[in-house]
Amino acid sequence: MLINTVILFLRDALPIFVLIVYLYEHLPANKLWLLKSVIAGALLSFLYINQINIISQWFDGKGIELFLWVSQSIVYFSTLILAYELSRNHSTNRLFLHWVAGLMISLTMVSKGSNFVLYLDGYLNQSNVLQSILIGTFLGLGICLSLATLLYLAAQWLKQRWGPWATWLLVHIYATGQFANALPLLIQVDLIDTSDTAWSSQYLISNEYEFGHLFNVLFGYQASPSIDQIIVYLLALFTPLAVFYWLELNSTSHLGNKQ
Amino acid sequence: MHKLISYTTLSIGTLCVLFCFPTLAAVTEYHVQLKDHLFFPSLITIPANQKVKLIIENQDNTPEEFDSFSLNREKVIFANQKATIFIGPLKPGEYDFFGEYNPHTARGMVIVEHQQEPLNVN
Repeated sequence: MLINTVILFLRDALPIFVLIVYLYEHLPANKLWLLKSVIAGALLSFLYINQINIISQWFDGKGIELFLWVSQSIVYFSTLILAYELSRNHSTNRLFLHWVAGLMISLTMVSKGSNFVLYLDGYLNQSNVLQSILIGTFLGLGICLSLATLLYLAAQWLKQRWGPWATWLLVHIYATGQFANALPLLIQVDLIDTSDTAWSSQYLISNEYEFGHLFNVLFGYQASPSIDQIIVYLLALFTPLAVFYWLELNSTSHLGNKQ
Repeated sequence: MHKLISYTTLSIGTLCVLFCFPTLAAVTEYHVQLKDHLFFPSLITIPANQKVKLIIENQDNTPEEFDSFSLNREKVIFANQKATIFIGPLKPGEYDFFGEYNPHTARGMVIVEHQQEPLNVN
């Protein structure tokens, strides 16, 4: 149970920590929005867990998968809103950005954190595993905090060197990974058909191991992704990059013409 | 600018719609029970290149998460409830699955073979 709790922490809590760290560094000053987002996320998670049995019955038993997929999609499209606001830097509405970032954190807390809460809810009342779960929780929390600190320092360095687009890119890579990884949720409830596996690197870095979990969180690493996932991943990653790069080039040339 | 954003959203939306055409064919069902944190049967043999439906019944009083990295599936099965997961079409081979909350005991394998009739072997 101890190791299992640590692994569950890495899988379910680390994505929340990573997103918080990236957005904390990405958004300018006034960090009160973060506290509000975490509280909202905790309340929403509580509501979700309470209603999860009902949600699971929605759409002929596809409710949870659809909810999780929609959540990941909203997080992904929120990243595009952040980039759009960044591209029109002359009139950025900070309050709006904080709402968008808050939504991203709250939804991630609900979709990822709820799994961990379900696990705790199911097993904490068993006295024989209580100690293992508590130690595992502390260990997992320690690992997540250490990794989050390292990532925060890395994001800070990148922002100082290349500006806010660097931290946006980190958020975008993270959100794209989560978005592409949500695709199997639709396949497993038969909403879309699956395609062949593109490759298998299970022997190299398995998703079962620590590095597999870490890379999965950072950039959506899958040891055996399907071709659909690869297509969605590449399109979701590079289309916005191309669009916003083109916009930046345009705005720079406009400024040059004005001068 | 707004046009570009619209085109991007539209292209991603179209891609989603294009993928949303599951084959309307009869799907063979396979039943698996989870009791005392063990899967019964723990070995499930299914035909190659065919989509199948796994119906997993959790008979324990604790939740479990069906998880498989090779099958790319994960689903929470609440205490004393059933859950359905579609898998395949798969190439012949062995695909591990386990219970995320009890990975040392709740383990099993989907064996994919070329065969005439679907089998369910323990």
